[in-house]
Amino acid sequence: MEQLVLTLKEQIIETLNLEEITPDDIENDAPLFGDGLGLDSIDALELIVILDKYYGIKLGSPAEAKEIFTSINTIADYVVKNRTK
Amino acid sequence: MKSFISVTGMGIICSIGKDANAVLDALKKGESGIGQMQYLQSKHAYLPVGEVKLSNDEMKQMLGIEDATPMSRTSLMGAIAIGEALQQAGLTVESLKQKRVALISGTTVGGMDLTENYYQQMKQDDSLLYLPKSNECGKSTDEMAQLVGLDGAETCTISTACSSALNAIILGSEMLKRDEVDVVIAGGSEALSKFHLNGFHTLMILDKERCRPFDDTRAGLNLGEGAAFVVLQKNAENALAYVSGYGNRCDAFHQTASSDNGEGAYLAMKDALEMAGLAPNAIQYVNAHGTGTPNNDISESQSLKRIFGDNMPLVSSTKSFTGHTTSASGSIETVICILAMQNQFVPGNLGWKNPIDGGVVPTLGAENIALQHVICNSFGFGGNDSSMVISLTEPATFAAQSEEYAYSVVADETLQDAEELKQLKEFVSPMESRRMGKLMKAAHLVSLRALQKANLACPDAIITATSRGMLETSLQFLDDINQLDEETLKPTLFMQSTHNTLSSAIAIRTKCYGYNSTYSHGDDSFKWAMRDAERLIQTGKVQSVLVGCFDESTPDFSQIAQRCGEPIPADLYAKAVVLVRK
Repeated sequence: MEQLVLTLKEQIIETLNLEEITPDDIENDAPLFGDGLGLDSIDALELIVILDKYYGIKLGSPAEAKEIFTSINTIADYVVKNRTK
Repeated sequence: MKSFISVTGMGIICSIGKDANAVLDALKKGESGIGQMQYLQSKHAYLPVGEVKLSNDEMKQMLGIEDATPMSRTSLMGAIAIGEALQQAGLTVESLKQKRVALISGTTVGGMDLTENYYQQMKQDDSLLYLPKSNECGKSTDEMAQLVGLDGAETCTISTACSSALNAIILGSEMLKRDEVDVVIAGGSEALSKFHLNGFHTLMILDKERCRPFDDTRAGLNLGEGAAFVVLQKNAENALAYVSGYGNRCDAFHQTASSDNGEGAYLAMKDALEMAGLAPNAIQYVNAHGTGTPNNDISESQSLKRIFGDNMPLVSSTKSFTGHTTSASGSIETVICILAMQNQFVPGNLGWKNPIDGGVVPTLGAENIALQHVICNSFGFGGNDSSMVISLTEPATFAAQSEEYAYSVVADETLQDAEELKQLKEFVSPMESRRMGKLMKAAHLVSLRALQKANLACPDAIITATSRGMLETSLQFLDDINQLDEETLKPTLFMQSTHNTLSSAIAIRTKCYGYNSTYSHGDDSFKWAMRDAERLIQTGKVQSVLVGCFDESTPDFSQIAQRCGEPIPADLYAKAVVLVRK
């Protein structure tokens, strides 16, 4: 799980081009959107691509993704339960 | 003296018909053209589309083209619609040689439908080098002019995403009012492409079922294709209808979403009504932008409620017939409005069943209704929102310009060295610039420097010139479509591929709700942008305008340009000037 959390953080930083942020800067249970890391709706679409590309998880709509993308921990949980690769 | 802008001819081709009569017939019968894709080749064939029901060869036959070289559907459809419009206006190509004529077209995809199938091979195969000749937006317009035989016409291309064609009609009307031309042929053309089908797919706004604009269960849009053009003349007697008012505004909110209160749309409609000299209750029908996305339809509903209050006119989205014909939608829906006025009916909003909480309730169609004034709405990515009032009777005379205002250029900034982009941090944080490609960064840096120099936080209007827009991200998206087989594509790349993304991003940053346009006509783009800026100031519409000229190249693109025998484009070029009324 620890490894998955780190990998997810690295994938997010790279995909979203978060230049001045390191994996250590992202708290595992801090909100990713809004007041937390400050991600927005386009970032959410990019996160959907990450899940598809690296974990074979296909989400149907941003609405469906909303709860999954609450924090790094919620994403990691979802990936563990639903990954197909 | 009476002065008004007459529509003297119109031509249309879209999924519900190859000419105005066929389109009228389908509208009256309530027959949608949305269905299974037949000509577009995509892995996402399960997505319904509004295709023109003609092969490229059939369209060539209609145009009498014997040349077997593949051509873009954008050019073919455009030429068909222009031909029909000229015929109705009673104008021959021969008769136009004695007049000052402008062909103004709106497109974003240009000849991409053709290029995307050969792009990988084109990197090596010289026999495919005819393709770039019609791919760029501007070249696509020139190709239409050539196909129709409009030899002496000025050509211009506007690329404000899905409002392009309406902005083309607006520009044409302005040019006629200022007596710059005698005859304008304005509209837009856009073919379906794998490129933008996949792009909209990454944004997750394509419905897998038929679209249901303004329905509570709506789940996105269906893409369509087509072209429509109108012939505009000043004070012409034989008018089909009149362009009596228009507004072009920016929502200045988000690159791919509309604001909750529909500010840009509201301001565009308000301007259009004001110019037409009409109160909102004079409008009997609104042909809504109504894409069927959850976001557009609630935002547009809010803007309509702000304009019309409790006296909502009949509203429908004819995208339920045609699909969303993107850059062509503004002119396609203008022609649909005129057909409705001429034939005294209102086309229904197909597929609507369930009202949206707080949304507009659209009409399912109305017969025997004498329409005098209608509104056509057309909104684009980045908040490029335009609206037009079309009237069946002569509108209030527009005032002849008495005074011409002079202007001076108070700032002129240029950037060509990518190293300089590090300085963007002075204006924009790394978090805010995380999605910006090279050209977007350069556009921001020179624009913000120029505004600083002009001592302006926000200009009254923003106009951009770009031949190819953000080429690096667009070509990356094109490569990805091929290499990743239309899967796991990046929305960030697509959302920066529309040419107007630069102009609207700067509007979002400066909170500029004013006039916003993008010219994409090759080397003439900047000339057209400056001409527009000067016109805005000279006619007293604005006090200040920010004009940008932005283009970039990539190694692949430069290599292709070189093999075509064209000048090798600069890796990066960004220029921003600020014009201020004296």
